[in-house]
Amino acid sequence: MLRRGFLALIAFVFFSCGKGTKNEVVVYCTVDQVFSEPILKDFQSKTGITVRPVFDTEETKSTGVMNRLLAEQNNPQCDVFWSGDPVRNIVLKSRGITDAYNAKATRQIPAYFKDSDDHWTGFSARARVLIYNKKLIKKDSLPKGLNDLTLKHFKGRFAIANPLFGTTTFQIAALFTEWGDDKAKQWMSLLKRNAVIIASSNGDVKKRTMTGEILFGLTDTDDAFEAMKESADVDFIFLDQQPESTGTLVMPNALSIIKKSPNQENGKKLMEYLLSKETEAKLAKSCAQMPLIKGTEVPEGIPSLDRIIPMKVNYDETAKVLQEIQPWLKQWLEK
Amino acid sequence: MTKVLVENIAYSKEGRDILKNLYATFPSGGVTSILGPTGCGKTTLLRLIAGLEVPHSGQILIDGKLVTQSNKILIPPNKRNLGFVFQDLALWPHFTVYKNIAFGLEERKDKMTRDKVMQMLEEFGITDQAKKFPHELSGGQKQLVAIARSLILNPSILILDEPVSNLDTQLEIKIIEHLKKIQAEKKFTMLWVMHNHKLAIDHCDFVMVINNGKVEEQGTKENVLKTNNQFINQFIHY
Amino acid sequence: MVRKITLIVHYIISALLAFILGAPLVLLLFNWVINRKEPSFLPDSGLLFLIGSSLLLSTTVAVIATIVGTSCGFLFYKIKSNGFPTYHNILVIPLLISPYIFAVAWRDALYLLFGQYASIYSIWGVIIVHVIIFFPIVMLITGSALSSIHSTLEEAGVVITSFKKTVLRIILPLIKHSITLSFLLVLIFSLTDFSVPAFFGVRTFTTEIFTQFAAFYNYQQAIEQSIILLLVSCSLILLQFRYLAKSPVFAIGQKGSSSKCHELTKGKKWIHSSIAFLIIVTIIFPVFILIYQSLSGSHSYFIEALVSLKGAIGKSFFLAFCGALLITAVAMFTSYAELRSDIRLPGAMLLFLFVTPSTVLGIAYIYFYNTSATAFVYASPIVIILGYAARFSFIAHKIIGNGLKQIPLSMEESGELVGINTYKRYTKLLIPLLTPSLVTTFLLSFILCLNELGTTIMVYPPGTELMPLKVYTISANAPVALTSTMTLVNLIVILLAILIFYYFGKRIKTRFHYD
Repeated sequence: MLRRGFLALIAFVFFSCGKGTKNEVVVYCTVDQVFSEPILKDFQSKTGITVRPVFDTEETKSTGVMNRLLAEQNNPQCDVFWSGDPVRNIVLKSRGITDAYNAKATRQIPAYFKDSDDHWTGFSARARVLIYNKKLIKKDSLPKGLNDLTLKHFKGRFAIANPLFGTTTFQIAALFTEWGDDKAKQWMSLLKRNAVIIASSNGDVKKRTMTGEILFGLTDTDDAFEAMKESADVDFIFLDQQPESTGTLVMPNALSIIKKSPNQENGKKLMEYLLSKETEAKLAKSCAQMPLIKGTEVPEGIPSLDRIIPMKVNYDETAKVLQEIQPWLKQWLEK
Repeated sequence: MTKVLVENIAYSKEGRDILKNLYATFPSGGVTSILGPTGCGKTTLLRLIAGLEVPHSGQILIDGKLVTQSNKILIPPNKRNLGFVFQDLALWPHFTVYKNIAFGLEERKDKMTRDKVMQMLEEFGITDQAKKFPHELSGGQKQLVAIARSLILNPSILILDEPVSNLDTQLEIKIIEHLKKIQAEKKFTMLWVMHNHKLAIDHCDFVMVINNGKVEEQGTKENVLKTNNQFINQFIHY
Repeated sequence: MVRKITLIVHYIISALLAFILGAPLVLLLFNWVINRKEPSFLPDSGLLFLIGSSLLLSTTVAVIATIVGTSCGFLFYKIKSNGFPTYHNILVIPLLISPYIFAVAWRDALYLLFGQYASIYSIWGVIIVHVIIFFPIVMLITGSALSSIHSTLEEAGVVITSFKKTVLRIILPLIKHSITLSFLLVLIFSLTDFSVPAFFGVRTFTTEIFTQFAAFYNYQQAIEQSIILLLVSCSLILLQFRYLAKSPVFAIGQKGSSSKCHELTKGKKWIHSSIAFLIIVTIIFPVFILIYQSLSGSHSYFIEALVSLKGAIGKSFFLAFCGALLITAVAMFTSYAELRSDIRLPGAMLLFLFVTPSTVLGIAYIYFYNTSATAFVYASPIVIILGYAARFSFIAHKIIGNGLKQIPLSMEESGELVGINTYKRYTKLLIPLLTPSLVTTFLLSFILCLNELGTTIMVYPPGTELMPLKVYTISANAPVALTSTMTLVNLIVILLAILIFYYFGKRIKTRFHYD
């Protein structure tokens, strides 16, 4: 009797954990769960479509979902890939994993933030910023642009995240595209000579600034805002904002539909939902992301694209450069 | 002359009284058989004399010297100059036969270790087993190694707890006779516990009978066998 | 003698196990061989240097952890003193916290104490954290070996020489297999851990493999490097196998087979202070930091953390429970087949799976199980449980194998002679006799499954919520106070579960304890 009951319990849990209702959508998400989960839950309650998410974090370089998507290529399980930046979507496109989809909602998004073949569409962007500890350094004394990071009086007092991963690698790839190889490599060498501290992630840069281990560091807007919520000692600035400067790097979230995915239609519905003013407003509120759709409501104090000078980036080209420079970056790191 | 004196010893384990104010004397140079029903405290008494257990009260003297006092070991086992053959022999499985026997001498940095061990091996007829590990030996050979190990340090007391259990009768007799011969030569005091009462009594000088944690009778073999004690008469079946 | 029919059944089950757990990895290696472009398989000098330095780091960790763990094992399993059982239970806690959390807590503890933590971002940081996490494994393994030493083996030494020399010459050599086994386990755990060296910015061979996966998405290279890691780890363990095969097996005692315990008389203060220091360093520091951070938030995150983990707790427990059951059953079979039928393939396969990096294992399972025919595995938590079994059955195999060696074949043969069938010989004789080993294996496997992240994150069915996943994914960018509170809630829940299992385990152990 006991044995039979136990077997029945196992069977029940397995089936209830396994494939649920047909009306579902599977989303693989590298955007921090703390921000993305509420939005996915809203979609579920509004549409009645069950969202089955797989979360990962940029903190550990999204290895889980990226390698999962690559390994599942022959029998895809994921419908929508929601990435924190377009690089991963571009890699997936190059491996034939994503499908083209021109969502109705994409019309509101500037062409600049979309793939020319519709394999990914950007929304709500983050920017690279300089986070600093107000107790240790005055705003006037901060670097004005990336070039100032090589100034001697900052030697050993600032950090960047591991340049092989995430938004840091994208920022460096953008510099290689903008400045050309020689100038970018020279800048990187000078950074090294200026004893730049390599943190394990952007979150680590944030934490080191909060604790006062470093004066400042490069990170993303969402990390900077979280830090400000947690500590009154930190603030951030955008670099290279003077006229004729290169501007700061802006990275949108990026959505892709996966080729031959099991719930394509629901996937498209989710994409339409995510590419809306409503979602952008929510992300602006929860993690200070800058909406890409004009006229989206933004809470006070949240930066907007109208108020900063963005770096002119061709995302496709930058993603290509990124793959080319990675071996060099690895050597730079190991030196 | 008394070699070992056990005075008023009480010992209990897991709430059960095993020895209750026990008095015992073991004459020097003699062989004493300790007899009694299973669980009466024979092995415990041997272990207390060796210093492997601590009594809750009472004291033990060896050669008139206090070695154990209630709850305290005054002289550790290795300084009591005694040999102990355990029921399961306790041969160290990671040492060869040679090493098992030589270990005590090596620890004492005895320069004659090799000669002494080889002589002992020869005496016991197990020279060709020297390089083997215990698990490669037969039951009888293991028994001989255990006895040889306990004798190598020339102890003044040899304690044997079921030294020949699990052996066939002929081998049992052979080993006990061999032991008796060595004892006669070296004149050490020997205490043993054996399940084969006939063998135990045949080869001993003194007998002690324990029942329910107390000594029922002790003395020379002849005296004990003549006793009117009903328990002893029933128990020994001699 | 093993009957032919039993042998055939053993071969069939072995083949099935090899197919379910091992075939995914074989298929992955097969794909790797087919897709290879470069014919040579020799790593370049830079990589060789990296392997060497990683091995050196892990060996240092293993040496220190073995010394600390064996000393603790000796104290807690051989010496009686007030407080020792409590110390023992407290010192097992590091096993329940993920290495990453420890690394963060330690860094923050240093900051709180000294106002800076730059010094921990080094090889020493990795060594300290790894030693703290892994020494309890040594303590448990050597401790259980010490408690299985027949008391007379030790007493025979004490009659001849001093206690100190008996320890050094008799007791420690008698448990040398357990010491070497735990040394190698720690070496491999340290060698294959990614999270701590990555956090402290120390480049090791494992972080290099991870970089190939995460930055370059270069499977071929990553698998190639994983194979080198696999070969290094396997050869280390095979060395131990060889060494073990030569060594004699313990005799089974006939009477009072329990180990001897000693009263602590000398150096009481010194020993208690050393243990207190160890507890402060390994437990109190990190837990204090977690509590401190948890309370430092703008409001109490306790309810938020509890709500967030609510859905994950039950499922995590259930899957860890199933995982532990499967692992115990697999290990019971493999060790039995190895010992009684001399079928060594399943044991070797478990070793191979154990040393495989978790990411590689995850990818192998996706390749193998993500097909329309096997969707019932991949789309359900079965794949997570298989992942658990692949990762941890080897440890269970070793524990149960050691237990099985203590049961003479004659026990089963006598059952056969009186006409008890094979099924009943298992259920009525073998399992009751093996109960202490089985309970230990189950508990350890349960803890390991409950904290498993590396493979789970690769294969968990979309929408499944599990505790370690939730803490891990939510910790990115959540306030430190929330992350710390979640870790604390996680820890409390695991401790409660262990207490419950411990209670039942103890009852079962008492019922089936034989001397």
